[in-house]
Amino acid sequence: MTHPATTTPRAGRRGIRIPGTGSVARLLLAGGLSLVVVVVAGVQLGAVDLTWSQVWSGLTGDSSQHVQRVVFELRLPRTLTGALIGVHFALSGWLLQLLSRNPLAEAGILGISAGASLVAVVAFIIGDWVVSSADPYNNTSFALQYLPLFAMAGGLVTALAVYFLGMRHGQLSPVKMTLTGAVIAGMLHALTTGALAFWGHAHTELVAQWLAGSLYGSQWQHLRTLLPWTAIGLVGVALLVRPLEVMQLDDQHVRTLGLGLNRWRAFALLIATLLAASAVGVVGPVGFIGLLIPHISRRLAGANLPVQLVLCVLLGAVLAVLADLLGRTLFTPYEVPVGVVSAVLGVPFFLYLLSRQP
Amino acid sequence: MLRTEHLSLAYGDKPVVNNVSLAIPEGGITCLLGPNGSGKSTLLKSFAGLLSARSGQVYLDDRPVEQWDRSKLALRLAMLPQKPIVPDGIQVQNLVALGRFPHRKWWQRNLTTDNNATFEAMAMTGVSELAERPVEALSGGQQQRVWIAMALAQETDILLLDEPTTFLDWGYQLEVLELLSTLNREHGLTVVMSLHDLNQAAQFADRIAVLAGGQLDTIGSPREVITEPLINRVFRVQTSVTLGRDGRPFCSGFSESARGNPPASESSPVHATAQSETG
Repeated sequence: MTHPATTTPRAGRRGIRIPGTGSVARLLLAGGLSLVVVVVAGVQLGAVDLTWSQVWSGLTGDSSQHVQRVVFELRLPRTLTGALIGVHFALSGWLLQLLSRNPLAEAGILGISAGASLVAVVAFIIGDWVVSSADPYNNTSFALQYLPLFAMAGGLVTALAVYFLGMRHGQLSPVKMTLTGAVIAGMLHALTTGALAFWGHAHTELVAQWLAGSLYGSQWQHLRTLLPWTAIGLVGVALLVRPLEVMQLDDQHVRTLGLGLNRWRAFALLIATLLAASAVGVVGPVGFIGLLIPHISRRLAGANLPVQLVLCVLLGAVLAVLADLLGRTLFTPYEVPVGVVSAVLGVPFFLYLLSRQP
Repeated sequence: MLRTEHLSLAYGDKPVVNNVSLAIPEGGITCLLGPNGSGKSTLLKSFAGLLSARSGQVYLDDRPVEQWDRSKLALRLAMLPQKPIVPDGIQVQNLVALGRFPHRKWWQRNLTTDNNATFEAMAMTGVSELAERPVEALSGGQQQRVWIAMALAQETDILLLDEPTTFLDWGYQLEVLELLSTLNREHGLTVVMSLHDLNQAAQFADRIAVLAGGQLDTIGSPREVITEPLINRVFRVQTSVTLGRDGRPFCSGFSESARGNPPASESSPVHATAQSETG
């Protein structure tokens, strides 16, 4: 693991160093600035590129109806929703990787997203059947508010199953957990496809788009649905930082340091699942952000968990907004879902990281 | 004080330790000896309250360890597992600082007193100069000293070590044992560890407990325990035991099946020369 360049060691007895406070500040500043840049670009660029003054007048409500609609009703909510789901998936992956001591853990790989998707799709189909209008892209429908709840129920059941099946002799086995997760994810994907083929005729296209992980049609309603879960997730993650530092050690070592391991692991799993599943409920399963961003953050921050955490928040948002921006501008008027773009962008980068690992 | 009474332990249905009663002397070095699978590690884990007893009990200050609150127990008793896991990319001082966890509430960051304890632990184990180095980059012997520093930062009066020398070359083995012996002498630390090398146990222990097949075979001072009949009985090895200049027993052995061939592992003549240099 490399440390940010120019880490000047602060020797001396007073206060254990924060490794190169200056370079940490620079890292966070760079992350914050890139987030601002992609958000502004997300609002400015699209099928119709806007000028700075148009964006500004659009935001202040001091412009033509058309510009205001594009900025305020289409691009801004979509970009911000994108930023939030990036934060959700990145933090969820970060927690899962730490709690299972497994660099490959992520909501998608462990089947949590697949469980969330299955229950959400079934709920959507049933809702459609009952109410006849459960279009998730229609903000007047009942479905949007409840889809995250259904998704979370599905995600939690899957997470618990993978967790308990991943135990060996009363200890969590990272390898067994990953294998179990992969197999369960495969089964749930098959069930989702089956459910769709059986009952989904009327909305197959819509649901298929949702399953690819898309920000298409994201509105303020989506943002409002997501925001409480973001808040809960952030508070949970902040509470978990110090226990997580200790939980990286061997299970028995952790216990002799006085940490209630099972309790804290269960809490970390709960928060990771809520974060991932709520995002799945709103925009569908978006993969790779949860795998990539924690890795990049670890590379940049070293073993400093609080810095890793903040970088996950910033870079997760950046990657999601950027992937969505590329998805909707590269092939206008066609759109490539954010989940597809983040995978296409992310995988080569990930392979590059792996090849450089000692 | 730590002691067991008629303690039996099992993994599932498989009994591992059977009816062991022993007392760990306060401020001493106690070594657990025994062949592979004799229950040394299991017994150590039960001392740390990591296993619940099938019958009998482990007592710390006359209270069963199972009834101790984990966070209180962590202030009395530190344990170093056989193969501890190094967190990704962590620096020496941050790993040592993890030993302060039980001294804080779980949401608190370390305070100045914690940092002082951390620095002191690094100084005692001679790793102060390595403070900013990533632990992964250190040699096996240095890593082991860092782990001991972390246990010292915990500021407990009892330190349990599960085969602390197993993955080290012979020079580092002596270095670690001498460090533990110094900490015991100068800071009154009670040390309990499992070892494989009879001569190292004889040299460093105040008290040796020999386990065989999950039962306590013998417990006593090195001179009482390291005897030809015991080694023959427990390890199935013919030995000759002599007394060194320091009055501690020393054995050289020949495997029963390969009598007459050069001895293989634990008590090779190489030890003998170096032993007399250090002892």
